[in-house]
Amino acid sequence: MAEIGSFALLLALALSVYSFLAGIIALAFQKRTSSQLVGVTAGTSGIAASGEESSLITTLRQASERIGETARRAGIATFAAVLLASVVLVICAFRDDFSIAYILHHSNRDLPGPYKFAVLWSGQEGSLLFWSLLLAAYGFVLRLRYKTDPRLFAYASVVLSGVQIFFLLLLNFAAHPFAIVQGTIPADGNGLNPLLQYPEMVIHPPMLYLGYVGFTIPFAFALGALIMKYPGEKWINITRRWTMVTWAFLTCGVFLGAHWAYSVLGWGGYWGWDPVENASLMPWLTGTAFLHSVMMQEKRGMLKMWNMWLVFATFWLAILGTFLTRSGIISSVHAFAQSSIGDWFAWFLAITLIVFVFFFFKNKSHLRSEHKLESLVSRESSFLFNNLLFVLLCFTVLWGTWFPKISELVQGNKVTVGAPFYNRVAIPVALLLLILTAVGPLLAWRKTSLESLKRNFMWPTVGAVAVAVFLLITPQNWGSPFGLKPWQDISYFYSLMAIALSVLVTLTVASEFYRGGRVISKHTGQGMFASMVQLTHRNTRRYGGYIVHFGVVVVIIGFAGAAFNQDKEMEMGYGDKMTIGPYTLICRSYTDDDAPNYASEWAVLDVYKGGKQIDTMTPVRRFYKASRQTSTMPDIRSTLNEDLYLVFEGLNQDNGHPILKAHLNALVMWIWMGVWIMLIGTVLALIPNAPAPVRVPAPARLETARTAPVVTGD
Amino acid sequence: MSIRRNLLSKRGARSGKAFQAVVVSAVVFVLLGAGDPATRFSEIGHQMMCICGCNQILLECNHVGCPASDGMRNELMASLTRGDSDSLVEQGFVQKYGPTVLAAPTTKGFDRAAYIMPFAALILGFGLIVLVIRSWKNRPAPAIADGLSPVRGAELQQFRDQARKETDL
Amino acid sequence: MTWLPLCLMLAVACLYYVFYLPGRLFLGPEKTRAGYLRERKDAVYENLRDLNFEYKAGKVPDVDYTSLKSSLQDEAATILAEIDRLEKNPAPASRRARI
Repeated sequence: MAEIGSFALLLALALSVYSFLAGIIALAFQKRTSSQLVGVTAGTSGIAASGEESSLITTLRQASERIGETARRAGIATFAAVLLASVVLVICAFRDDFSIAYILHHSNRDLPGPYKFAVLWSGQEGSLLFWSLLLAAYGFVLRLRYKTDPRLFAYASVVLSGVQIFFLLLLNFAAHPFAIVQGTIPADGNGLNPLLQYPEMVIHPPMLYLGYVGFTIPFAFALGALIMKYPGEKWINITRRWTMVTWAFLTCGVFLGAHWAYSVLGWGGYWGWDPVENASLMPWLTGTAFLHSVMMQEKRGMLKMWNMWLVFATFWLAILGTFLTRSGIISSVHAFAQSSIGDWFAWFLAITLIVFVFFFFKNKSHLRSEHKLESLVSRESSFLFNNLLFVLLCFTVLWGTWFPKISELVQGNKVTVGAPFYNRVAIPVALLLLILTAVGPLLAWRKTSLESLKRNFMWPTVGAVAVAVFLLITPQNWGSPFGLKPWQDISYFYSLMAIALSVLVTLTVASEFYRGGRVISKHTGQGMFASMVQLTHRNTRRYGGYIVHFGVVVVIIGFAGAAFNQDKEMEMGYGDKMTIGPYTLICRSYTDDDAPNYASEWAVLDVYKGGKQIDTMTPVRRFYKASRQTSTMPDIRSTLNEDLYLVFEGLNQDNGHPILKAHLNALVMWIWMGVWIMLIGTVLALIPNAPAPVRVPAPARLETARTAPVVTGD
Repeated sequence: MSIRRNLLSKRGARSGKAFQAVVVSAVVFVLLGAGDPATRFSEIGHQMMCICGCNQILLECNHVGCPASDGMRNELMASLTRGDSDSLVEQGFVQKYGPTVLAAPTTKGFDRAAYIMPFAALILGFGLIVLVIRSWKNRPAPAIADGLSPVRGAELQQFRDQARKETDL
Repeated sequence: MTWLPLCLMLAVACLYYVFYLPGRLFLGPEKTRAGYLRERKDAVYENLRDLNFEYKAGKVPDVDYTSLKSSLQDEAATILAEIDRLEKNPAPASRRARI
């Protein structure tokens, strides 16, 4: 089996090298012959071209087009080969083929089926194969859809093949997933890391990788468009959906990671500002900036150079993230094996940077735009500030991640850059961004008078202030965000600001729906709700985007809850009591159990609130036999107000009593709800716009009649 | 996140005494109000890292049998009860465990750069954007690019009308 | 050694798929200047519709609306006129290169 996998990887490498080289040759020839043909037919070359010459050029051109087609097909075949290699690896995992080192180190006989499938991305070699597979899959779809714009797609395909070659080189020569175990083959494998044996771990890495890898596509299109000096901004239109889908995957991946950390690691939090978490956040931040600023280019032809850099930065940061995870250059708790492939990544990062910078400066003149801005207060300028803040947040995260290294270089000693640093620096910037989220949609393109801004902004502001005052004056015993006294602690101040600004954003989003709905309602005579639905359907990107904004504020409210978290640790024998917040926990029993894959210990606790029993909770600790590692399975009881989060920490060896830690985490459920809303908004934004009833009198020309939907803009 | 922390935890290994000290301190800081040693314990404890390699904030380090966090928490409690000032406590910890014990860079020496840089970038970026917007605003109205020549007179009117009709709501 | 024929078959299948190209290739239409201008016209039209909508929704005051609308219509008219000219006298091929 392993031989087939190895062969498939070699074949994939050969195919992608061919796809890359043949693609370049074909495009170079097409460029040259097309300019010669133009010269010949227009007679501008100065020398009268003979018919023979012309037919030679035509033949050459046709040949180059055929080479281009083989390049495209080789790209498609690469997908088949990489897919085969991945399938072989998964089959080997299911067949417990421990002669393959990768399977030996990441699986064992008693591992449940779904986790055997997840073995594909549980270790270094496998996850690189998975990267390569996803890239090939994206490339496969792209190359099938080439009819949209064959030349642009041919350029993008060459860029993709270039990236693919890198990963396949790694797989074939540095991190081979089918390496064979030397000597006697052990009877059982070392098992999968127990922390990864959790249902979400089966979907979190694929989502995150789909996001990471996916940003290669907008980058490939952008670089392709830059190299070919693509006329106009249509390429952005073509890549828009790719970018949004990729962004949704990355969002999903980042938050699934947070949710996994929350439900498995047992320290009661969802985000620890670990370098690897940061690595996934950085491309998300620049990608989000790109999703916004790209509208400037689409609608006004502005920010072409900036967008080019933004899309490159996003791609580059995604690779940098992978580099950080693999190279061990920055100490992280995500203990992936440190290995030499860090050097490969460093080289790849350097080469992509050089290639991009070269083409950027070579074709910079093509990206010049000459648009004038009518006013300082306009949607355009709000997008600029939006981009500033996103990029700044990304810079802050990057700076914080690298600062220990920088400090070591400058002052000779490492420092820790942990959560307190990010809380101090990133929260104020994030709050500024929230203000902009509220103001931006109220600004009109090109020009907004302060007068109309004031008028549109007044009611949402009144609403937000009212909510803030309400939170200030309510009694504290109502629950977490009530009775907030911002002068007591800076974190309370941030929380209050975050909640008030979230209300502001929600109200401006609502007013956008209301105002747009009113216009449609006036025109069509429909009811308000139907009008709003129609409004959304007519411009899905804009109103889907607003729903994403709403999801973001729900997430922010969830984050704001962290200021009210409490925790308590106790040793609990039979009948012992622990009180935390409004809850009383009574230990009913504790016991242990044995399963083929793991042994477990757990406690059973009755949960009382207001004197009534409302639940029974069972936090568990497992000992995985194959890997000889322990893992906690916290029990979490979620409500809108707070999560009661119980961790079984261990047993007191003196008396055998379990040690339990209880966390009361405020508003955490809002985070997961907000993510769902964000995803729903993104899906809405992906739906094509509905054509509005056409009110144009029959025009004389066919071309002009083609376009007449009443769109509501962005 | 703390993968290593969980990996390090040994099954059930724990010294009862150290644990009791933690329970006592936890109970103390839950019961007492603001401005007292308990609040300071929580505040300072959240500014420090556990040094066992779990990369966790000291008071959030939860793995049973951690070779470091229990002792560190006791030390912290002891120096607070002694009445040491915040900076003295921190100095003591830095001297004993090295500067990485602090969860965030200090506000002294080169460490300040960690905080200054993002805000400097913010101000710089802000200024840059204002300059860019102003230059865009003061730009002369551009001739329509790409070699388009403006139309005049009746032709202009005709095409303007066409555009209006096709885009009216 | 059962894997050897399998690998060979795989390689042959890939080569066959990549290099056997019967029939005509799809090359798509060459992008003309008129096509490019139509894309630009669509963008300006969208901006105009957007402006109309924002005006009706009460986000743009009258004065701004009139001036912005007028400048957008001028831009649209220029593009429409050029498209019109290009369609009346089809462009020489050399224009393609200068889109």
